[in-house]
Amino acid sequence: MSITRRRALQLGAATALLGLLPATARAADNGGEILRQWYKVVLMLVRHTATYSPPVASRAFAYLGVAAYQAVASGSTSLVSLAGQLNGLKALPPRDPAKTYSDAVITHCVMASAVKSFFGNTGPTGQRVMAAAEKKLKGDALQGLAPDVVEASLSYGEALKAAIIDWSATDGGAVIENMGFPMAYEVSKEPGHWNPTSAIRQQQFPLLPKWGQNRTFAMPSGASCGLPPPIPFSEDPSSAFYKQARDVYDVTTHLTPEQVAIARFWSDDPMLSFTPPGHWIAIAHDLLAQEKAGLDRSAEVMMRLGVAMADGFIGCWNAKYQFDYVRPVSVIKKLIDAKWEPLLITPPFPEYPSGHSTESGAAAAVLTSIYGENFAFADRSHERDGLGARNFPSFTAAANEAGISRMYGGIHFRPAIEQGLEQGRCIAQFAIGLRTRSST
Amino acid sequence: MRLRFAAAAILACAGHALAAEGPVVPAFVEETKTSGIDSVYTGEWQYMVGGGAAAFDCNGDGFEDVLIAGGEKPATFYVNKSTRGGALTFEKQTSGLEFDAMTGAYPLDVDGDGIMDVVVLRVGENIVMKGKGDCQFTRANEDWSFAGGDGWSTAYSAEWEKGNDWPTIAIGNYIDRKQELEPWGSCTPNVLQRPKPGAKGFDTPIELTPSYCPLSMLFTDWNNSGTADLRLANDREYYEGGQEQMWQVRPGQPPKLYAKEDGWAYLRIWGMGLAGYDLDGDGYQEYAITSMADNKLQTLKEPPKDGAAPKPTFKDVAWPKGVTAHRPFMGNDLKPSTAWHVDFQDVNNDGLADLFIAKGNVSAMPDFAMKDPNNLLVQGKDGKFIEMAEKAGVASTETARGGALVDFNLDGLVDLLVVNRNSPSQIWRNVTSGAGNWIEVTLEAPGSNVNAIGAMVEVKTDLGTQTREVTSGGGHVSGQSGWVHFGIGEATAAQVRVRWPGEDWGTTYAVDANGFAILDKTAATATAWTPPR
Repeated sequence: MSITRRRALQLGAATALLGLLPATARAADNGGEILRQWYKVVLMLVRHTATYSPPVASRAFAYLGVAAYQAVASGSTSLVSLAGQLNGLKALPPRDPAKTYSDAVITHCVMASAVKSFFGNTGPTGQRVMAAAEKKLKGDALQGLAPDVVEASLSYGEALKAAIIDWSATDGGAVIENMGFPMAYEVSKEPGHWNPTSAIRQQQFPLLPKWGQNRTFAMPSGASCGLPPPIPFSEDPSSAFYKQARDVYDVTTHLTPEQVAIARFWSDDPMLSFTPPGHWIAIAHDLLAQEKAGLDRSAEVMMRLGVAMADGFIGCWNAKYQFDYVRPVSVIKKLIDAKWEPLLITPPFPEYPSGHSTESGAAAAVLTSIYGENFAFADRSHERDGLGARNFPSFTAAANEAGISRMYGGIHFRPAIEQGLEQGRCIAQFAIGLRTRSST
Repeated sequence: MRLRFAAAAILACAGHALAAEGPVVPAFVEETKTSGIDSVYTGEWQYMVGGGAAAFDCNGDGFEDVLIAGGEKPATFYVNKSTRGGALTFEKQTSGLEFDAMTGAYPLDVDGDGIMDVVVLRVGENIVMKGKGDCQFTRANEDWSFAGGDGWSTAYSAEWEKGNDWPTIAIGNYIDRKQELEPWGSCTPNVLQRPKPGAKGFDTPIELTPSYCPLSMLFTDWNNSGTADLRLANDREYYEGGQEQMWQVRPGQPPKLYAKEDGWAYLRIWGMGLAGYDLDGDGYQEYAITSMADNKLQTLKEPPKDGAAPKPTFKDVAWPKGVTAHRPFMGNDLKPSTAWHVDFQDVNNDGLADLFIAKGNVSAMPDFAMKDPNNLLVQGKDGKFIEMAEKAGVASTETARGGALVDFNLDGLVDLLVVNRNSPSQIWRNVTSGAGNWIEVTLEAPGSNVNAIGAMVEVKTDLGTQTREVTSGGGHVSGQSGWVHFGIGEATAAQVRVRWPGEDWGTTYAVDANGFAILDKTAATATAWTPPR
């Protein structure tokens, strides 16, 4: 573990001890519900917008979380602005002390406006949904408010959104072309390195090879929670490399029904689900809804979670393209069994570390810092896809299951999972360490 | 409609020598402006998919007439006034088919009276229109107990189940159009309308659930068993927990989905169009499935060599065959493609089926190509396809949807009609120089399935054997019923057999090159036919 990483873990532990968010916090209006409704829309848009691979989704969740948080913090005496704490986020527009605002209206406005910016490229049905959601939620937010409050709030929401979008434009992830697949890329011919794993032409080059250089949110850089190198390639049956491939082969050729269910539950494929970061956002959404959380708590939870997962993907991608590691399907077909097929679709990018593991490790660390250790919950986020609910004794247990699901699915070696979870926990400490309350 | 004109001498060979190397480059001339066709498929969100055409002969002159969906505007019907080998000429005519809210249509002689009927797919009630002759149609929903529903219909196919005197019609429905906030996951049920036992007309529809928003469906004999199953191309954009599907449909039994235990392989794509053709001559059809950013060409993973029943496990060979067509092949807009109507036809008559794919952005989706040319993938002798749309003159970058590849002027060369969204439909005449010889046949069978839907037509020449299935459905909300076309290269005659629906292979007919032949199941020989003009 690097020095930076150790420091981060210490920082996170200290912050967690202080107790970040009182569970009893409630907003005075319906802002929490309006914010959660917007997140429902965003989860659908992530699934149905072609550029929204998991890293891209995590980025949107981070910016939307920060936007929602700042919508509340800008008028709060207890919440602290993130300007100066997040990389590249300078002073944000202040509210006019002479005017009266509604946090709910500002939140609605900033979400409606930012969602349109981040998902402006969605298809005609997504456009229709965004318009319908804006109309409905605006009506909910404006109910009973004086015209001057409405006008001031909408105006401020637009100004805040503009500042957030300006900030986002320079992070390196704003423009996604060809659904994230480069038009040119030199695939390594060396053994042990990534090579294409599907017959889909677009995926002959790996996804988002430069994502690991994006500007991070709370952690210093994509390399801040670096990883040890993966096991060196070898075709020797007695080698550690061969053994890790054999491990995947043995596990996947004797899957139990429960293991198959686990692999499918955490599959979270882009275009067919709300992606891995969306899965954790959905978990948080449901928890916040159950407790009928107010706007400030809802915004803060979503902000921390979004920031941690976005940093998680940047860190993970940084390592993926540092090591450019081969996928199990390439190895097993060549060395062990040419007819072997993984249960899940092998993602079109390098193997080490596991992206779902990194971001699940990060997400679980954030949620544990908020809800505590051994917080049992039911994950119902995939019920509409017919995958049922799964119960977990803690967020850590859920993250561990998400990690090992990638081995059951035949798309990762075990070290990528273990190191990914560890990397995620490290990265999360930067989000957990953000100062949000004036008392902390 | 049965042809009015009886046998006549088959014209002399009009074939030309084929190019020594590589396939003959097809050539088309766009005749939209002079053709008389002036139709636009248009409308807002509910018409983002669809935009089909139906081609069929409804006045018995052998020339296929055309119905083109207009979306929120009324459809238009055109009588084909072309002469043999002449310019494509159509005349707009009131037919009774001019419905608004039409997404597409398919011809089908439902009541087996020899006069073509039409099944109209709509946003709202679907309508089955009975042909009265001379291209006039009248509503038959009530007379035939056809349940029009109130869905957003985007797929159709029909067959005659063995022993039935009335067709079985499958209708594919898209999302619940009333769901504004949560349209995703709202796929509405597909339905199967089977014959009413012992009576004329349809029974109460059976829901084919789970339904996953198909944009194409096709009754097809994928396992060469003599019985068709229902293959669906489902749009993953809207289903939750869905995948591509195939229903086993057997007379007297409830439909049953093929499952993993049967060998059905999990595939989830933006399924938008579907077409089948036995490309490798192994007796099992390959299936082209269009999608976005990728297209599939499926072949049986393990075709049995010992006569055993194959498993419905398909593998994708689009890349090695050269038909991924995943992004534009010309111009500067190299974003991923959006593919819709698909059909196999031999456009240069070399005896090898070629592949046409209609392309067009869904609706201002900036991550996909806006200038997305249609593909004409011409098959070479090695079984690989070569993109020739630009050279052939059909690489339109309008926003295409449906279409029809039909020999509109009966010169033995397959012409092309494409329905575009928000811009006029286009039509091209095939004027390929150096094309091979050809035959075109039509099937006539006694009983109610007069056009022998479900039959297999086998053509043997010096080139080898070609087999085509006579189907009703597939493509993208576009269908045709008319001459079955085969290119036969330099061959001057062909031996033709038909596996009539539900039966074994029948008589072998001799058919001369470059002519039309009526294959009457009750006749021992083919009847040559000559266009009346």
